[in-house]
Amino acid sequence: MKAFFIFATAILTLATFAADDATLQSVADPQPVLQDLQHKMSSLGSVYFELTQERHLKLFTEPLIGEGFMLIERPDQIRWETTAPYQSILLGDKKSVAQFEFNDGKWEKLKLGFPQMLQRVMSQMSLMNQGKLDALTSDYTISVSTNSEETILTLVPKDENARTVLAAIEVKMTPDFSATREVVMHEPNGDFTRIIFHREKRDVKFPAGTFDQTKPLDIAAVKTAVDHAP
Amino acid sequence: MIKPNLWILPPSKQPWIMRRNLFFLLLSLFATGCVTTPPENLPRAADLFPADALMIQRAVLTVHGRQFTLNGYLALSKTGGKRLIVTENFGSVLADVLMKRDGKIFVMRSSQLFRPEWIRRYVVADLECIFGDSPQTNCPGKILSPTHFVMEHRGYTLDLQIVETKPGPQPPELFDAAKKEMP
Repeated sequence: MKAFFIFATAILTLATFAADDATLQSVADPQPVLQDLQHKMSSLGSVYFELTQERHLKLFTEPLIGEGFMLIERPDQIRWETTAPYQSILLGDKKSVAQFEFNDGKWEKLKLGFPQMLQRVMSQMSLMNQGKLDALTSDYTISVSTNSEETILTLVPKDENARTVLAAIEVKMTPDFSATREVVMHEPNGDFTRIIFHREKRDVKFPAGTFDQTKPLDIAAVKTAVDHAP
Repeated sequence: MIKPNLWILPPSKQPWIMRRNLFFLLLSLFATGCVTTPPENLPRAADLFPADALMIQRAVLTVHGRQFTLNGYLALSKTGGKRLIVTENFGSVLADVLMKRDGKIFVMRSSQLFRPEWIRRYVVADLECIFGDSPQTNCPGKILSPTHFVMEHRGYTLDLQIVETKPGPQPPELFDAAKKEMP
């Protein structure tokens, strides 16, 4: 379960950050870069991602692929939705979390086990979306490498137990932090999960119901609204 | 002293009450019987699946009214056996088990949520019920469609759907018990 929180936190909190590994240079003092990132994030009102999640297990010859969306709106709204190969919605804010599964043609709201733990993840996410990187530096050792095409943040869990399930998280972004490209979560055994962000729109106005924890608006309607947003 | 009334009189004093109570008793027994009738044994489903394939599954596990979503990756091999890897939503492995053709079970990975003994006792049992080659007797559940199964145990319910099937031989390493990873 611990891995879940780490992964979930990583995905939900770090995806708001984000090319090739050639000539990457490690930044001796990452603090100015992190502060710049923090400054830019703190001005973000919302962010919309379309993504592909690749699960790379050494045992399998090809990655296991999923498609989905991640939506974040200040101050604390989050929606993580998987659209293929199954349909699932995870919603959270400072007060509560909710999960829906699409089953036999209709959405079913789940009675979540461990909701308070998911709640914690969402809370951290909210902090991150407001640019409060302090929440991360207490749990991770953060290093930065960069070249002309990308900036990579590498986060290594400080906790020894956490490192048994998560070796490191890499967040790949454009050098000016204007877009997140990938988040890669490396496991100690060589398996990893890569989340590739195909499309990102910032400061979009989400339609009503996007984060509704009782009857969330269909993602197609959200996408249409985002597509038509200026 | 409590005065006798309709509710505490002995049955012999009020035969019509007895008849009425018997009616309610039978009604309640009938209703209870309806609720507690054990689910039917899951019909054998192995013929629905390719002998060699990778099947991607989505499941909702309900334990004491609380629900957990799981992803399953099941590799089937007509010569090697079955290998099931269960992960949580974001990919972390919760359980990994190999069932050889000869019936031997190898728990390749476990977790706090799925301990080795639970994997052997519950995960393997349900795996055998749904995907087993031979008929099983203790498989309370039903087939809702060729890709949708529900296992209804006393302590938990597993609602499992096969969301993708990739037919074809799977890597032999998947069925090699010696390739167990060290924690």
